[in-house]
Amino acid sequence: MENVPKIELSKHEHKPLQVNPIKLSQPMGSALAFMGIKNCMPLMHGSQGCASYAKVFFTRHYNEPIPLYNTSVGDITAILDGGDYSILMAIENITKKNTTLKPELIGLCTTGLTETKGDDVRNVATHIEIPYCYVNTPDYEGGMESGWALTAKALIKQHTKETSTIDTDKLLLLPHASIQPIEVEKIKEFCESFGFETYALPDLSTSLDGYLSQNQGKLGTGAIGIEEIRELGTCATIVSIGSSMQIAAKALLEKNSNILHLHFDHLMGQEKSDNFVSALMKIRQNEPKASIKRWRGRLQDAMLDSHFLIGSSHFVISGEPDMCVGMCELLQSVGGTVDAVIATVYSSVLQTISAKNVFVGDLEDAVPYFENADLVISNYHAERLLHMQERHTGLILRGFPNYEELGNQLKNDQLYEGSTYFLFEVANKLREIKHHGNINE
Amino acid sequence: MVSRAKIKELMNESACSHNKDKKKGEGCDMPKPGMAAGGCAFDGAQISLFPYADAVHLVHGPQTCLGASWETRETLSSYSGRNHTVMGFTTGITTNDVIFGGDKRLSSSVDYIVEHYAPEAIFVYSTCVTAMVGDDIDMTCKKASEKHAIPVVPVHAPGFVGGKNLGSRLAGEAVLEHLIGTKEPEFTTPYDINLIGDYNVTGDMWEYLPLFEKIGIRVLSSLSGDGRVGNIRTAHRAKLNVIVCAKSLITLCRKMQENYDIPWVSVSFYGKRDTSFAIMEIVKALGDEALIQKAKEVIAEEEAKLEEKLLPYKKLFAGKKAVLNTGGNKAWSIASGLQDLGIEVVATSVRKSTAEDKEKAREYLGVEGILMMAPASEQSKIIDEKNADILLAGGRSLYTAIKKKISFIDVNQEKKVSYGGYNGLLNLAEDLKYAFSNPVFANVSKKAPWEAQ
Repeated sequence: MENVPKIELSKHEHKPLQVNPIKLSQPMGSALAFMGIKNCMPLMHGSQGCASYAKVFFTRHYNEPIPLYNTSVGDITAILDGGDYSILMAIENITKKNTTLKPELIGLCTTGLTETKGDDVRNVATHIEIPYCYVNTPDYEGGMESGWALTAKALIKQHTKETSTIDTDKLLLLPHASIQPIEVEKIKEFCESFGFETYALPDLSTSLDGYLSQNQGKLGTGAIGIEEIRELGTCATIVSIGSSMQIAAKALLEKNSNILHLHFDHLMGQEKSDNFVSALMKIRQNEPKASIKRWRGRLQDAMLDSHFLIGSSHFVISGEPDMCVGMCELLQSVGGTVDAVIATVYSSVLQTISAKNVFVGDLEDAVPYFENADLVISNYHAERLLHMQERHTGLILRGFPNYEELGNQLKNDQLYEGSTYFLFEVANKLREIKHHGNINE
Repeated sequence: MVSRAKIKELMNESACSHNKDKKKGEGCDMPKPGMAAGGCAFDGAQISLFPYADAVHLVHGPQTCLGASWETRETLSSYSGRNHTVMGFTTGITTNDVIFGGDKRLSSSVDYIVEHYAPEAIFVYSTCVTAMVGDDIDMTCKKASEKHAIPVVPVHAPGFVGGKNLGSRLAGEAVLEHLIGTKEPEFTTPYDINLIGDYNVTGDMWEYLPLFEKIGIRVLSSLSGDGRVGNIRTAHRAKLNVIVCAKSLITLCRKMQENYDIPWVSVSFYGKRDTSFAIMEIVKALGDEALIQKAKEVIAEEEAKLEEKLLPYKKLFAGKKAVLNTGGNKAWSIASGLQDLGIEVVATSVRKSTAEDKEKAREYLGVEGILMMAPASEQSKIIDEKNADILLAGGRSLYTAIKKKISFIDVNQEKKVSYGGYNGLLNLAEDLKYAFSNPVFANVSKKAPWEAQ
């Protein structure tokens, strides 16, 4: 690995293009966030392809019908329309065509096209009766993680009522974009067990969670509705998970300065879970329930059981910054050596990772590190690259997209319980790889 | 740049069947806000050209265009060099490029690609944003082409100009303008054809190409399934253009007829009847008696072989009835396949079909068959009335099948095996066999203990 040129962590790109990209776009993150709102109609303001690509992408990742609409900006509207026309036409056309569709929120995200032409999308609300939320998400800025976070922020900023009263039982979770539906549910249940009335924004726990039902894929089915978003100002506590979500927390603090804000860069591994539990205990002045205590012991046992395999192994992680930072810390807590972290976009949280190489890049940049690793944690696109190399390096699929495996929405890597399963999955994969290697020799 | 005149010409293609029942000048539909479901023009262009494995496909745009779309299509290639179809290249422009223009980034990206990947050619795709800010992609490509002595082909199909179909046409224009006729083939035969519009998804082409070889038909070039840029440059020397299951590249074929005097036939290779019919269309168009004779022999032989293999399936499927809810030519091509297997197709959706597709669907289903105009609301009733055994549709209809306690196949999902040619029918038969015998549909239709029985 000595001859691999070192890429520094920087906001600036180190080459003019991306080869085998892992970065995903802001509007996609925003659309996903809107799917986590009850009866929301996610509407992408751009040419029809933007929404079509995003739809196919999420359909294949989740194996679910995806509710996503578009304003299909054409060449004439691209030049002449200031934004309102195609958005209003789209809403009218969609609701007219499908009269049973009763959206309670229109969730609009912009794209590179409509940002370049400089559409003013704010005004739409004055022309329609359905509540409306807009987010500026050009896809030449940021990435999926920021698009998701900007949407949570916009929902709060545009819809949450200002207040100074708080409801001591009420808690809001602000999970980052890579936290999967089942993980939202698990973290919510965790908080509920301490006696909190818990909300999450966005809340995918009942959306894209792989649940068989009628009328799928028409509107978002998230577990939080617009009415509840309006009243979020009375939350006594907000917990932001992932550095990207700080902006959403800040927006809520502006609605009510009496709220207590707890921030966690992630909730993976013993240390962060302990910190989380301590914080909740302090507020509620109570002990965690028995099963949480039990899971902590199981995690510790898993750490010891897996430390030999993980402790003697080299890892490469690629994905969204908020996801990478948690996985890195968990693996390092049992002695794993993380050779490189390749992030989709720049985030200040990447500075906190103590690995030999941490930078923003693509899979072309990652390949030299793959060749020396025992295990790679990456999205689906890493698979073919690993097949092409001589060394038998294992792969654990995490992040978007995962077209290869089923049940992505039900993978839980969070807190004591999820971390336990994650460590076992890693260790088992390493055993398979190392055993395979021995046979070859 | 892409001009409005060009788009108008492509949308009003005189040879296109969409235009049959339209007023003069009305042309194909432009997307309506909120109503467009499919991909954009860029998507169409990408689909049409990406299978060239020896070329690098560079998407000059922001992140969505390529970031969400690379390595998603199973367009197989036999190329022995580095297969670029499974890779993604994008300039991934940022705010700076939107303000100051992305030409410099594009030109450095092309240099980088030539230095690191040495492809036979580079296709440069403009996208909404780079078309909007007015990057001079033509000039950058021209200069790069001269500098590196390989074709660097600008493809002007930004998403906002229209749908997938138009993008496909625009891709055809780029190939016609920059590649076809720029190189001579090493040799020619009287039986040289160009395959147009088959992208070799899951190896569809490989199901019928061995038949061509047996008969003596040579594929000079392909646009673009398992294609090579070097070959498409010689396409002007073919004797016949064979357009496969696609209407979008008709303009290209018409223009090649005008410019190079190459006639074209439009065929499909789904099911036994279509495959045999397609082969006969091709050899008849090539007009050589000996070739026609050979084709007849090969068809007879292959059909007999296939019939034998299908026999057990036909027994299994006897009396089975199917409802088909899918779009475009699949409305009749899959119906044809099902019928070849002895399954009665009681209804098919023609919601998005052209006049020609509707005619064909009627022809295949007969007077009794139901052509559904609003399948979402109709299919449930038809399943009851006709006592259908299986629903073949997109994922959204799964619940209908479960409610009706019948089998289901998702025909819109990316398929994993080919249904093309004679052998593809066996793949379809296998899938059906498993769908019919699988108890899962009945099992998940059972009520929960807490629901009223």
